[in-house]
Amino acid sequence: MNAAARAGLLALALAAPGLAQRLDQREATVGMRARIDQLVLPGPELTAKPVTREAPIVLRVLATWPHGSEFRYDLEYYGLDPGRHDLARYLVRKDGTAATGLPEIAVEIRPVLPPGQVEPEELDAVAPPRVGGYRTLQILAGVVWVLGLLALLLVGRRRRAAAAALAARPLTLADRLRPLVEAAAAGRADAGPQAELERLLLAYWRRRLELQELSAAKAIAQLRAHAEAGALLRRLEEWLHRPPEGRAVDVAALLAPYRAVADPEPAPTTPAGATRSA
Amino acid sequence: MDRRACPGNLIRLAHPLRPAPHGPTYTPARPQPRPLLRMATRTESSAGPSRFAATHDFVQRVREKVGQVVVGQDIVVERILIALLTGGHLLLQGVPGLAKTLLVAALSKTIDLAFARIQFTIDLLPSDIVGSEILDQRSHEFRTHKGPIFTNLLLADEINRAAPKVQSALLEAMQERKVTIGNQTYPLPAPFLVIATQNPIEQSGTFELPEAQLDRFMLLHRLEYLAPEEEKEVLRRNAALGVRREGKGAIVRTEFDVLGDRPVGGPEELAQAMEDVQGVYVSEAFLEHVVEIVGRTRRHPHLELGASPRAGIALVKASRARALLHGRDYVLPDDLYALAEDAILHRIRLTYEAMAEGRNGTQVLQEILSETAPS
Repeated sequence: MNAAARAGLLALALAAPGLAQRLDQREATVGMRARIDQLVLPGPELTAKPVTREAPIVLRVLATWPHGSEFRYDLEYYGLDPGRHDLARYLVRKDGTAATGLPEIAVEIRPVLPPGQVEPEELDAVAPPRVGGYRTLQILAGVVWVLGLLALLLVGRRRRAAAAALAARPLTLADRLRPLVEAAAAGRADAGPQAELERLLLAYWRRRLELQELSAAKAIAQLRAHAEAGALLRRLEEWLHRPPEGRAVDVAALLAPYRAVADPEPAPTTPAGATRSA
Repeated sequence: MDRRACPGNLIRLAHPLRPAPHGPTYTPARPQPRPLLRMATRTESSAGPSRFAATHDFVQRVREKVGQVVVGQDIVVERILIALLTGGHLLLQGVPGLAKTLLVAALSKTIDLAFARIQFTIDLLPSDIVGSEILDQRSHEFRTHKGPIFTNLLLADEINRAAPKVQSALLEAMQERKVTIGNQTYPLPAPFLVIATQNPIEQSGTFELPEAQLDRFMLLHRLEYLAPEEEKEVLRRNAALGVRREGKGAIVRTEFDVLGDRPVGGPEELAQAMEDVQGVYVSEAFLEHVVEIVGRTRRHPHLELGASPRAGIALVKASRARALLHGRDYVLPDDLYALAEDAILHRIRLTYEAMAEGRNGTQVLQEILSETAPS
C-alpha cells in the first residue's frame, strides 16, 4: 500500500466517527426523541416556536452555526401525535418574523400502540386545595362579620342622618298655607284640607297679631275682636260651619289675600313633623 | 232630714225626686245684687235661631238665677249646663272653698232637680251609694233601701278619698245608668248627672282615679280662684247675709239660705233643651278638627297616652251644647278650643321624659291646638 492510500485510509478512519454521529432521524415513535443534525436552512437564523399544549411536535434547536449566507442547525424533536409532520412549521426567525421560504422538513411519528387500543378515561376535575386551614377560615369569617357590622352601622346611620336632615327641613306656615289656598279656591279641597286650611289661617293670624302666648281659646276670642281677622273668621264660619242651606261665600275672593301670603315672621316656623317629605 | 236615707257621712241637701211645693224661705234684705255671670252677647243671642229661642231663654234664666247666688264661676256654670244637656258627667278639680257644692245645689234648685251630695271618705262602702237590702223586722222580709245615687244631680265630693271599690261602684252606675241591689236592677232617674270633685293639692290618703275611670267623665274642669273684683263681691254678699231666727235662737245665714226654692225651669224644659242640643249642626270641617286634634295627642312624642275615642265624642257633644248655650245652631272651632282642655287633658298622660323636662299637659295640648305640634 502506497503512502497516498495510507493517508486516505487514515483520513477516512478519523472522519468515520464524525460521520457516524451525524444523525438524520426522520422517523420516531410517539414520545421518543429524535435528532436531525447539520441541517442547512436558508435565510436568517431560526429558532424553535414556543411550545403550546396543543402542538403535536415539540422541537428544540440544539445548536446553530453560520453556513455561508445561511445557517446550519442541530434539531431535536419528539412527536406527541402519530402521523407525518413538517418541522419547518415549528420554526420561527430569531427576530420574531415568520419563517418563510423554508423547505419541508418532513418527519414521521409512528404510534407504538396497536390500532383500537382502549385509552383510559379522562381524569375527573379535582377541586383545588383549600387555602389555609380552619383558623384561617375563622379569621376570614371574623373579618367579614366586622366589616359587615361596620357597613350596617355606618351605612344605616348615614342613610338615617340623610333622611333626618331631609325631614328636618322645615315647612313654613306660608308653605303649608299656599297649596291649601289654591286647592280651596279652585274648589278641589274637601273637608280635610278645608279644616286644615282653617287651622292654618287661625295660626297665621295668631302669629301675625302675636297671640301665640295666649291659649287657643283666648286667642280665637281676640281674633274675633280684630277687624280683619274677625271678618275672615266670620266668612270662614259661614263657609265651613253653617248649615249648608245658609252658605253663600265666594271662596276664591275670601282666600285671595292668602294666595301669595308670606310668613308673618322672618324666621321660618317649624311645626315639627310638618315637613317637605311628609 | 231622713237619717235612714243618709247613713254615715251622706248629707241629703235638697228635695226628693218629686219635690214638695216650694215656698219662699228667704227674702233678701236688700235688692238682688247685679249678676256677674257673663251673658251671651247681643250678636250671639240674635244669631240664635228662633226654634231654639225657648231653650235659650231657659238657659238665660238658669244662669241669671245661679248668678244671684254664686259669684263668678260662669265658666263652671256653663260646663255644668253642658254636662246636664248632654248627659255627660263632670269632674271638678279645685281647692276647697270655690263654691262647688253651692254651685251644684243652686243649679239643682234652679231647674227643680233632685240633688244629693255624698262626701267620699276612706270608710265609705258601695252600699252607702247604691243602697242595700235591709231586713224589715215587722214583715220579716227584705226591703230594698235605695241609696243617694237615686237622684238627678249627684255631687260626689272628694271622690278620690274613697277606696277604688267605691269609686268603681259609682262609675259603673254612671256608665250604665242603672244599679243592681240584691237581684233587682233599678234604673236611675232621668236626667242623671254626677258632678264629682277632687282636690289637686292633698294627695295623702287618697286613691287617684286611674285614666280608664277618668275617661268616664265627659269633662274635667279645673276651677281657678276668683278674680279680685269677684272675690270682693263674694265678701260683700257674705257680709250682708245676716242671721235667721229659729224659735228662740238664731242661725247665721249661709249662701245656701239664699238659694230659695223657686225654680226657673223644670225637667220638661231641660228635656227640651237636651233635644235641641241634638239639633245643633256639626259640619264636616269641625269633625275633621276634632279627629285631627285627638289624633295628634296619640302621635305627640311627649304623650305616653293619647286621648281616647271618648274624647272626640265628648268634644263634639259638649261643643254642640256650648253652641246652643251661646245661641248658635252650629258648632265652631271656638267651641272646640274652649272645651279642649276640659275634654282632653284628663285623658292624656305625659311621658316621663316630658315630665323630667318640666312640661305639663296643658302646654302640650296648647302646642297641639296652636298648630305647632307634630301633625
